[in-house]
Amino acid sequence: MAEHALLPFLRAQSQNSLTRLYGRPSACLSVSRLLQPLEQQIVMSLLWLEAPVAMASISSWTLPTKDAQRQWEAAIGSLNSLHLISETRGAIDLNPMFRAGLRTAILGGGTHQSFGVPCDKSDKEGKDGKRGAVTIDFLDKHASQKWETILHYMVSSGTEQGMKPSEGVLYLLRNGGLMSSATPSTITSKGFQFLLRPPHAQLWDLLSQFLQMSEDRGMDLVEVLSFLFMLSTMELGQDYFTEFLTETQEVMLEDLRDYGLVYQRKAKSKRFHPTRLATTLTSSLPPLLSSSMKGSSLESNPAGGTPDSQGFIIIETNYRLYAYTDNPLQVAVLNLFVALKSRFPNLVVGALSRESVKRALDNGITADQIISYLTTHAHPMMRKNNPIISSTVQDQIRIWENERNRVRTEEGYLYNDFRTERDYQDVLQYARQLGMVVWESDAKKIFFGRLAGHENIRSFISRRTQSGM
Amino acid sequence: MSQSAQSHLTLILDLSPKQWHLSSLEPDGQALSLLSFITQVLAFMNSHLALRHENTISVLGAFPRKSVMLYSTPGANDSGLDSTAPQDANTYQPFKTVDTIVSSRIMEEMESISDSIDSPTGLVGALSKGLCHINRVINPATRSSIESSSPLDPRMLILSVSPDMSTSYIPIMNTIFAAQKLKVKIDVCKIFGEDNVFLQQAAHLTGGSYVALMQRNALLQYLVMCFLASSSLRKIVAFPTHDRVDLRAACFCHKDIVDIGYVCSVCLSIFCSPVPVCSTCRTKFPVKTLRRFGFGPPKAVGNGTSKSGSATPQ
Repeated sequence: MAEHALLPFLRAQSQNSLTRLYGRPSACLSVSRLLQPLEQQIVMSLLWLEAPVAMASISSWTLPTKDAQRQWEAAIGSLNSLHLISETRGAIDLNPMFRAGLRTAILGGGTHQSFGVPCDKSDKEGKDGKRGAVTIDFLDKHASQKWETILHYMVSSGTEQGMKPSEGVLYLLRNGGLMSSATPSTITSKGFQFLLRPPHAQLWDLLSQFLQMSEDRGMDLVEVLSFLFMLSTMELGQDYFTEFLTETQEVMLEDLRDYGLVYQRKAKSKRFHPTRLATTLTSSLPPLLSSSMKGSSLESNPAGGTPDSQGFIIIETNYRLYAYTDNPLQVAVLNLFVALKSRFPNLVVGALSRESVKRALDNGITADQIISYLTTHAHPMMRKNNPIISSTVQDQIRIWENERNRVRTEEGYLYNDFRTERDYQDVLQYARQLGMVVWESDAKKIFFGRLAGHENIRSFISRRTQSGM
Repeated sequence: MSQSAQSHLTLILDLSPKQWHLSSLEPDGQALSLLSFITQVLAFMNSHLALRHENTISVLGAFPRKSVMLYSTPGANDSGLDSTAPQDANTYQPFKTVDTIVSSRIMEEMESISDSIDSPTGLVGALSKGLCHINRVINPATRSSIESSSPLDPRMLILSVSPDMSTSYIPIMNTIFAAQKLKVKIDVCKIFGEDNVFLQQAAHLTGGSYVALMQRNALLQYLVMCFLASSSLRKIVAFPTHDRVDLRAACFCHKDIVDIGYVCSVCLSIFCSPVPVCSTCRTKFPVKTLRRFGFGPPKAVGNGTSKSGSATPQ
């Protein structure tokens, strides 16, 4: 399982700020969820012990096979780098703040309020009457609409049709290099790659960008992180008071509202609802996909029923592609690498062609990304195949990619006009020792050297000429 | 390491009032009362839920003469609001929901027990209910591409305090085979009392671990270290295994656990002494063979072994 996108970021933080972060039970809970299973097992085993455990006795916890030992050491190293455990005099102990935090999280109690202060239900009914009906369905719709607005804006490259995301989002996209900063801004190759990633990865991509940005803005990262972690432990459908948030967190609330992570009825509202995007932050399931699926799974839907929820793409071995969707965003994303031919109310027909794939490759999308997009969004009927995308199609996409790599460019110098065979051989020999020879032709007595080696080769030649003279 | 993120844990609590009473009377700091047991088990359940957002749990209680489903995570990972527990800023809501429901349900059931304190617990009922529930969880009625692509890792953990009930030998064996077929590991933690022959076999045959508690006040630590890890981790971390498993079977006639039994050559039923006619399949055994076993007139066939693995088809 790939490491979570947030962990490298956490590793880069100082021990001080991490310890401060671990002071909040909700953060401890979320961090422990991001860990690998083996790391979790180590943390949990240490959690209820009062004294440090000697290294020797800890290593007896694993099986004595080489593979197990290697994984074990990797896990210990990873925990160390997150400052979750510390080694002193051959004994391992859990970070005391983290231990206290996780214990509180599991046992409950305390007065830390790190899971967010919920609004009382009776209170809500009293004030808002009937309007208190912010249903889960509504939140899901709101979140996916906000999120798709962002993606759609990117894919249409600012040729606005429909809604435009707010300035904050645009700034984030430009800052993260997903859109170019020129006006009108166009999508970059990094942005194209972003579009094809699974939704969960997209969310974290954007959030890590956001974290980076808040660091530049001089916001307190511990506050920012702990707010994200708090959101991830909140209950969907429940509203929470804003007045218990710190100032930094109130500023964040505004940004997160633009991304669709939280919903507020009015900008100045005293309460906010986390959406499914927020509550599934530490989960590994695609947040919105599963949500709309849940709603529709009760009705038995015909094949290709809810297009945006489950897989919708059928691709045949003749490169024809049928996508059961009416979602403009998905059509636009497909349009990145498919030559679309016809469009019906719930179906788009197109074909993968050399031109269409090459266009995508020119935009910086890789063959693997195309294949993985097709695989993750494959229609349920396609999933019965093994492999899901027939190997003909996969190979062809890869071959198209390789076509681009036939010509390799390299900057350097061409050395020619050697007077004697010996001059040529000596210089070539020297350049070979440096590993700087790209191409050579003994017949013509010329060779091509890399740019990096030019200074050395030139001085070698001049030394030779001088001494030879 | 396994790609599957989600794991489902079915917890079976043996809640025999009599045994728990005896357990709380143990001397030398070994006493474990029902209350402290429940507290530690709740912490263990929360730890399981804490590992992954998608983890699910169901809890069954085996009470005297009946078994009750105490709690099960609603849906697969549907986080609908549960109105039973009021929100609280200091607790993670799913933990609170589980804890409140489980402890209040146990109290309810305990109070409703009146005269049947001595009766054996409905462990078999709980086992089969748990397996049925697992079956439903891994085969959802509406198959969707996403759920089928993330395989669940169902496990079962029995926290046992009651002694063996030889009458339940056949039903327990049947649930073991069902579990084998579902590829569900059955873990057993013996908290109080003698080693449990049938549950040892259950753990052995399904590839789970059987642990008899040595230090009863460290229950939570035992639970976390031995039973928290999903099956994929068990290839890396050392887990207690039982090198000596008691594989004795119970005879079909008197429900006694036997060292040497007589097995019907037709249906593999086990008897503690030779019988002329198999009570299960009505096969009549030849007098000659019966004599060979040193029994006078009509007696039964069999080759006595203690390896009861052959007692029932595998």
